[in-house]
This record gives sequence, C-alpha cells and structure tokens, in this order.
Amino acid sequence: MSLINKLRAALAAAAMVTVAVPAVAQQFPDSVVERGRYLATASDCTACHTNTGGKPMAGGHVISSPVGGIVATNITPSKSFGIGTYTETQFADAVRKGVLPDGTHLFPAMPYTAYAVMTDEDIHALYAYFMQAVTPVDEALTAKTDLPFPLNIRLSMFGWNLLFANAKPFVADPARSAEWNRGRYLVEGAAHCGTCHTPRGIFMQEKTDQPLAGAQVGPWFAPNITKDKTAGIGSWSHDELVTYLKTGRLVGKAQAAGSMGEAITHSFTHMTDADLSAMATYVLDLPASPAGAVAGGTRFDQGKAGNELAGFRGEGFAKGMKGPKEGAQIYSANCASCHGYNAQGTTDAYYPSLFSNSATGGPNAANLVATILFGVDRETGHGHVFMPPFGGQPNAVTSLTNAEVASLSNYVLKTYGNSTLTVTPAEVQTIRIGGPQSDLLLMARVGMGAGAAVALIAALVLLVYGLRRRRPAAPAPTGV
Amino acid sequence: MVTKNNAEVVVIGTGVVGVLIAEQLLDAGISVLMLEAGPRVSRAEIVENFRNAPLGLKGDTSVSYPPAPWAPHPTGPTGGAHDYLQLSGPDSYAQTYIRYAGGSTWHWAGTSWRLTPEDMRLKSLYGVGRDWAFDYDTLDPFYTRAEYKLGICGPSNPEQQWPRRARLKPYPMPPLPFSPGETRFTQIVKELGYNNIPVSQARNSGMPYDDRPACCANNNCVPVCPVGAKYDAATALGRLEAKGAKILADAVVYKVETNGQNRIEAVHYLDPNKQSHRVAGKLFVIAANGLETPKLLLMSKDDRNPNGIANRSDQVGRNMMDHPQLTLTVTTKEPFWSGVGPVVNSGIMETSQGAFRSEHAGAYFRYNNFARNRFVTFAALKKGLVGKALDEEIRRMTACTADIVAAHEILPHPDNRLTLSDKTDWLGLPKPSIHYDVGDYVRRSAEVYSLPIGKKIAAAMGATDVKISPKFAQSKHIMGGTIMGADAMNSVVDTDCRSHDHDNLFLPGGGAMASTACGNSTITMAALALRSADAIVSQMKGAH
Repeated sequence: MSLINKLRAALAAAAMVTVAVPAVAQQFPDSVVERGRYLATASDCTACHTNTGGKPMAGGHVISSPVGGIVATNITPSKSFGIGTYTETQFADAVRKGVLPDGTHLFPAMPYTAYAVMTDEDIHALYAYFMQAVTPVDEALTAKTDLPFPLNIRLSMFGWNLLFANAKPFVADPARSAEWNRGRYLVEGAAHCGTCHTPRGIFMQEKTDQPLAGAQVGPWFAPNITKDKTAGIGSWSHDELVTYLKTGRLVGKAQAAGSMGEAITHSFTHMTDADLSAMATYVLDLPASPAGAVAGGTRFDQGKAGNELAGFRGEGFAKGMKGPKEGAQIYSANCASCHGYNAQGTTDAYYPSLFSNSATGGPNAANLVATILFGVDRETGHGHVFMPPFGGQPNAVTSLTNAEVASLSNYVLKTYGNSTLTVTPAEVQTIRIGGPQSDLLLMARVGMGAGAAVALIAALVLLVYGLRRRRPAAPAPTGV
Repeated sequence: MVTKNNAEVVVIGTGVVGVLIAEQLLDAGISVLMLEAGPRVSRAEIVENFRNAPLGLKGDTSVSYPPAPWAPHPTGPTGGAHDYLQLSGPDSYAQTYIRYAGGSTWHWAGTSWRLTPEDMRLKSLYGVGRDWAFDYDTLDPFYTRAEYKLGICGPSNPEQQWPRRARLKPYPMPPLPFSPGETRFTQIVKELGYNNIPVSQARNSGMPYDDRPACCANNNCVPVCPVGAKYDAATALGRLEAKGAKILADAVVYKVETNGQNRIEAVHYLDPNKQSHRVAGKLFVIAANGLETPKLLLMSKDDRNPNGIANRSDQVGRNMMDHPQLTLTVTTKEPFWSGVGPVVNSGIMETSQGAFRSEHAGAYFRYNNFARNRFVTFAALKKGLVGKALDEEIRRMTACTADIVAAHEILPHPDNRLTLSDKTDWLGLPKPSIHYDVGDYVRRSAEVYSLPIGKKIAAAMGATDVKISPKFAQSKHIMGGTIMGADAMNSVVDTDCRSHDHDNLFLPGGGAMASTACGNSTITMAALALRSADAIVSQMKGAH
C-alpha cells in the first residue's frame, strides 16, 4: 500500500469513528463472555491495566518504556472513566489499530500491532467479556503518561502506524496443521511474544525480519527464543517449552522473572495445554537466529558449582568487603542462604542453581543484574516463587549499592555463568533506573530548535527513504 | 512535618513495639520521628558476623551484634559474662537483648503464643500475682491484628490452636511441618497424655508474606534469619521510611523533659560524639525494651518527678519478670534428629494451665529444634576422636541428643527491681542494676511439677542420660518494669499503656504486662502496641 493509500485508509477509519453509535447495554451469552475472558487472559491485559494492589483493569500501572513512563488506562466498562461507551467497532479499533474513539493514538506500549491479527470473532468475545464481566471502576487515574517532548505529541503515532502497523486479521495457512496455525495466531496475536522478544529498530518498531531473536525490554533482556540450537531454545524439546510456559521454569536451564514472570503468572499458566502446545509448535518452527550466542555451548550450560569461602571467611565483614573476595562475600551474605554456598540451589529447584541457568549464562548480564535489583515474583499452580529484591526497595533484604551489585554480578558470572562478561557500576545504574533509554528521544530532540514536528517528519522521511533503499534506517543526525 | 528534632510523635526505640506503633501513626497521617540508640546495620553484615564467628562463640548473640560503644548491651554466651548489667540476688537476671535498629526481634525465634483468658486473671482465679486491667476479649482483636501484621503461621485445626477457644480469624498462614525429632517427640508425649502442638510463629510458611520471602529452613532463626522470612522489626524500617518516618540511629536518649503541666515537652539524646540534641514533639512513645525503658524513666527524674518520670507509684523498675527456664539435655539410643525447619516449631502449652497455679507456676515444654551439631561437636572432640570416628560421633550425638526446655511463669514482685547503678557506661550514663529472685512459686513448680514432668518425658524418650541445668536461665522475655493497672498508685501505665502521670507519654510493650504466663511475650507486646497506637491516633486527632 502506498503512503497515499495508507493516509486515505486512515482518514476513512477516522471518519467512521465520528459516526459511530454509542454502545448500549447488551447481553452476551456466557459462552462468549467466557471465551473473551480466556482471550483477555491469553492477551495478559491485566499485566498493564491492573495496577499493583489496584482494582482489575482499572489502569494506573506505569509502564516504563525506553522513552518514558506510560500509564495504562482504565479499561473497565465505566462510562465516565473507562470504555463503557465504546461500540464494538470502537473497541476493535483500539485493540487492533491503537486508535481511540476520539482519534487519539495509543502508544505502542499497547501491543495493538500484535493484537491486529485477532479475528473479528475473538474481538467480539473480548468485547463481550469487558462489557459484561469486568466490574466498572468509576475512578479517575491519578498518574498521567509523562513522555518527554516531542514524543508526547500523540499525533506522531499516526505516521508511525503508517509505517509499522501493518498486520491484518489472521488468515490460516492451509498448508500448515491446525495446531501450527493456532500457535501462530496466539504467538503473533494474543500472547504477543514478539512485543518483547523481537528486537526493535530505531523507531521502536519490531524488526520483522528477526522474529523472537532477543531484545532488551526495560531492565530485562527477553532472550533469543528461536529454534537455534545454541543461541536460541532449539535444545529444548517441545514438551519442555510447554512446561516452561506452564510453570515459569525449566529445571537446570531457565526460569521466568520480570515481565516474563508476569506473563506466566497472569497469562500462560492459565492457558490450556492445547494452546501452549500450539504456541510451542509454532515458536520452534520459526527460523533460527544466531543472535546472542555464547561461547562454549548454550546459555543453559555455563558455569559450575564452587565457592571462594576460604578466601575471606573469618576475616571479618568490613575487611572482606575491601578485599579481592568482595563479590564472594556479598554472595555468601545475601545469596547463599537460599541458593546454597556452592550456588547449587535446592534439590526441588524452588531455589535454582546459579550455574546451568540462563540468567547467568546469557549473552549479557541484564537479567542477572535485574534479578538482583528487583527480585522474582511468579505465581502459578506450582507455587509462588518469590525472591526479594536487593535494590533499595522498602522490602529489600539488603540494599546493595551499584558497586556491590557489580561486584556480586562479576563473582557470579565468573564462577557460575558466562565468564566472558563483566558488569560495571554504571551498567547497574542503567538497569536500576529501568534499562537503557532509546535513541529515539535524542533523535527527536535534536531537531527541537527547528520545531519538533519538522524533526519528526524529517526523521520519518529519512526512514522511508532508508526502507525503500532496503538499507538500515539512516543514523540519527549528529551535532548534539 | 518531621525534622531531625521535631515531629508530632517521637518514638524512642525501633524494635517491634516501636515500629508497629509508628506504622499505625504514619498510616493515620501523623508524622513520626524514631530515635534508636544503636547503629543501623545491614542484614548481610549480621549474617556474615555469625558465619565468621568460631563455632564456640556462635551461641553468643553479641558476636553477631557487637554493641556500639555508645549503646552497650549485654554480651557473652549466656548473658552472664557481661559487665553492662549489674546483677544481684539469688537468681541472675542475665538477659540478652540488642541495641540495634530493628531491636531484639533480630534474634528472636518468632514464637508467638498468646496468653489465655485465665493467664490474665491470676489473682481472681488463683489468688496469686495480679489480674490484668482488662480481659482477654479486649485483647483478642489486637492479637489478631498483630498476627496479620507480623505474619504468623499456625494451625487451622482448633484442637491444635492455643488458646483453645474460637479465633476471630484464622492464622494468615498454615503451620510449618515438624522435623523428624519433633514428630517422634509428639508421638511420645501423646502417650503420656500431652499434646505437642505447632507453635504459632512469625515466619512465612511456604509462601511469601508482607513482601518477604518464604522460610527456606536455614535453621538460623537465632541469631538472625538470613533471608527475612522470619518477621523482625528491621524488615519494617524501609517501609516506614517510605511512608515518611524519619529514623535516627546512634541517638541515645538519656533524658525525658517535662514542662510546667508535667507533660512531656522533649527528649534529649547523645550522639556518638557525645553531643546532646533536643527533640520536641506533641506525644512521646518510649519503646526501648523492658529494661531500657524503666532505666530511662529513672534517669530522667526532675523536681516535679523526684522518683523518676511516670513513677508516682514507685513501680517503675519493679516487678521485673521473665520466663525462668530449665533445660533437660537428653541422650537417647534412638536417633531423633532436630534441626529441620525453624529452631522452635512446637510446644506443650496445656501444662501451663490448672488449679495448681494457686500453689506453683505452670510450665510450657518444648523440644528445641536447633540443629544439634553446633552443641555436640566440642563434646565429641573432648573424647579424643579424629577423622571418620570423630565425624561419626558428631553425627550420632547430633541425632541422639535433644534439649527439652521447661519455661515457667513468674509472679510480679516489687523486690525484683531495676535501679540505676553507680557504674556508668561509655557515654557516662548509669548502667542498669537488677536484683532478682525467681521466688518460691517458681522453685516449687520445678520441684513438684515441671521437672517431674520433664523427667517423665525424658524416660519415655528412652533417655540413657539426662542433664538438668543447675540454675534457672533467662528466656530473654523482659516484662513488668512499667506494669499496667487500673490503680495509679500501684501501677505505671493505664490500659492503653499511657503513663498514669503524663498523658502524652506512652510506655507500651513487655514492661506493661501484669502477668507473664509461660509463652513468649512478643505477640502480647505487639497486641499492646496496636492497642496503644489506636489510643495515640485518637488522642492526636483530638478525641481524647
């Protein structure tokens, strides 16, 4: 579709909005509502739209993005504060196109580019569920999305959508099995795996030519989950991937934390075995990517048991903290009580070993550092896994400094993980404040003297130019 | 508005009682400044202090918590070798407690037995001791709140609950499983007619609670839970600060200042440079523990209060109580194996109750669940064994020895008294001096009741050897020094733990307890703290 045609289509859609009829109270059959409930679970709406300790779907959760904090909205059927007045068409546009009834564009923190593949039938079920089974919450949000200028201009999303929001409602591939098609529908749509696992370009768009090849998402790293035997999860069996999605862990290999922990807790663990199996079938059929390979094996088999207790034990805490064994002592003081003095974990693997563990053996140390700083909180039918944080939170067992986290991480990496990696205090600070920031902000601000809109349009034009020439997007203008 | 020298409410002490009250006040929108005599130390450092200590010293809590010069606390393995407490009398009030931010729950076991209704009416029912100024039903809702605040795990089966009466709400978490030794012990005492029941304890059982992790059975509760699965007040300090509290460590309060209306106007503290600072407020809470609180009141005597603050009754520092305990160290043929799970995990409570209390004290029996290797290794070494033979002997003694502890109640007696010593500490402040005698009520119990039961249990366990501690040891449950009562001439605080003499001074905690019963005192202190907090909030809001 040409740019002009895209513009036309978008304008037509906007025109439709203005003639939409407000929703009236409807009675949906229970079976449809329940299907919608399942889809809402599979789509993990609650992960963003239910705040910690807040009412279901009432919004207020601040999503940290590389360009700033985005506040999830109230999507209960409240007529004054939620989506209670939405027609089904308006609802569909919000979910699949990221456009609200008043024309406001959502930021792609809302994974509408993924949900775009959802069928009309499923959108109908979701609508039925939200309108009929979610309790309306008539409360205004206290927090507001606070993106820096010029990214706070939502109209800029209009152009972004033209370029990157290309997905259509799902059409099954008749050459593939029903399970494969079901898996693709879920992976690309409701489960929106690519939202985190697919690397993003300079404009925060998913790089569609590198699906699920691994990406940094805030403080956490969503690793390569393609079928590559060394860089991805090709060494896992289909059933192992299902087990991981169901329980959030694969003993002796990996466990979910951060946003994957939330996805397991709120979404995957509640899905049917058939759907999890379908997702595994599709994921393990995607092209292998070598991105993020680690030397000498996979990220699941790095490191070994061991300790350096003899290097500091009996010397006294203060002395230990000054010596070369600082990291080992921090480990003993804060980690060994659960993970074991040799980092061997427990026999039931509730406390995982730190060797043969993707969090320590991966291509970068982000997940190790993020786990230390933020802990783990994951609840499934197989129990509530909770590792307290060490990053200065009110419930931090110990509030470790950046230097201490770096020292601990380096000990863990050297002894139990990917020994080629090192961590600096500055890198810990980056993770502590929510992960690396996007260049997009810098790019947009470069042109602020000449007007933000001009800068953004210029950037978009550059990008289109780059795409047409089948080359990577042009680098950010220099001169800052 | 809270600053480092002013707040609406000034709380002295950052132990369990102080932090419970502080949080209630913060939640009610009242500003709180907390003053802590001792240092604020990370859990990591305390854990490593313990692990770095040689085996023979691990039983001395002060090895993990070395006192700061300006905030001395008792040191030594049994509290006996220290020079801070000046002790006299037939028995030794050799307590251990620590002056650290977070207080002595850092090293408590987490045991949280409630009182029974009868425990609060000793005078009426048995003609001994004192009645409480209110009944059990008054305290019950505060117990429940305290159990939810601290995170107490306990049984849902009413037959296994203590006291045996309907609970207002279930425990927030289920009990922890028994160790092999406890399981066997429970079977054995059952045949003797005793029920060894799961202890209600401040420990996250199988689940996170209060944003703290589940217990992972380090068996290291005393002297420190390395992961914060056991409630200790230190786990609340960060949360209190997030709610707006200001916490000053290394601030040794040495004087309480009154004004012309004999209300409290300010307190004064010394910092580690021996500089004095004045802190003003509208209301003051002294929760510095059952020993330091009466000490501070006595130190603060002025012209209007010549016996000390809050001491018109002359009861401040009197009625010092504890749970005098005797230990039977039993050697068996059959391996028992303690040490799986927390250090105290069960107990026989029904032996604390009965008409006999008109004659002698009741007792609570527990099978200590400390792993035994720490205690038996030196005995094995003394046998001259080496190599594999030594390992095997340590293993055998670890499995085949056990400590059965009988903890007794004690009656309040005015002669069990804390006074100010002539000796002074590093800052020049008087050291506490305590005269103590457990009394005939306790001694008679040991003679005719508790030790006979203990010996019967030991025999049923198949004991080949029983060693009984020669003297009563202390349980470190400091009670009575600011005793509660309805009569201002015979007690220090009212039913809200408010000083009879100063209406803006609260002295909550173990010092207020009018009876000890046999179970550990902390959960009752916590319940009293929450009751005080309610009274303080309503007083600050002008309802009083």
